Amino acid sequence: MKAKELKFEDIKKGDSAFFEVVINDHDVEKFAELSGDFNPLHTDEEYAKNTGFGGKIVHGMFLGALVSRFVGMELPGKKALLVKEMLEFKKPARVGDLLNVRGTIVHKSEALRLLELLIEIRTEKELLVSGSVNVRVLP
Amino acid sequence: MERFNEIACEVLKLSPEEIKDSLTPKDVPDWDSMNYLLFISALEKHFNISFTMDEVLNAGSLGDVKTILRAKGITE
Repeated sequence: MKAKELKFEDIKKGDSAFFEVVINDHDVEKFAELSGDFNPLHTDEEYAKNTGFGGKIVHGMFLGALVSRFVGMELPGKKALLVKEMLEFKKPARVGDLLNVRGTIVHKSEALRLLELLIEIRTEKELLVSGSVNVRVLP
Repeated sequence: MERFNEIACEVLKLSPEEIKDSLTPKDVPDWDSMNYLLFISALEKHFNISFTMDEVLNAGSLGDVKTILRAKGITE
């Protein structure tokens, strides 16, 4: 995978981009190993079935990592430096969900080379995550 | 400048009672270089204005930032 390389000068308010991804069981296991978060809500189907969620759910910060992927690979891509990420997890993501990760530029500071993006992660049916990120665009 | 103060409180993690024109980065633990940029960006977005790089670099206190805003016609 190669990061897109948008020039700061070419980015404007209202621009948006997205990618889609399906998270599988192996991804969740890898994220649990990487983060050290083996909470059974993410790793034990029997346990998770008996919670209000009815089955395993994807780590919230896995979704946060998809936002990192979005800014680092899509918009603005190669020159991105993520400086702030604020997310609200409204609904859980489940293994096998097709996730659409979208960001839209809501502010561009010319002097600071700083962008603010509205972030949404959705399935076809519902909004799972909303929030914002601030990203510097390196020269 | 009520709205300015609210944004300063939110970004720089200050209580309303702490807001003074004389505040500088030395006085505010959360006024680091990155938070300062986020503060300026939040002001730009809210008031629909743009700072120049000189304005960003030369503002040494909260009062200096207010002065720049007033020069741009912002009094909120």
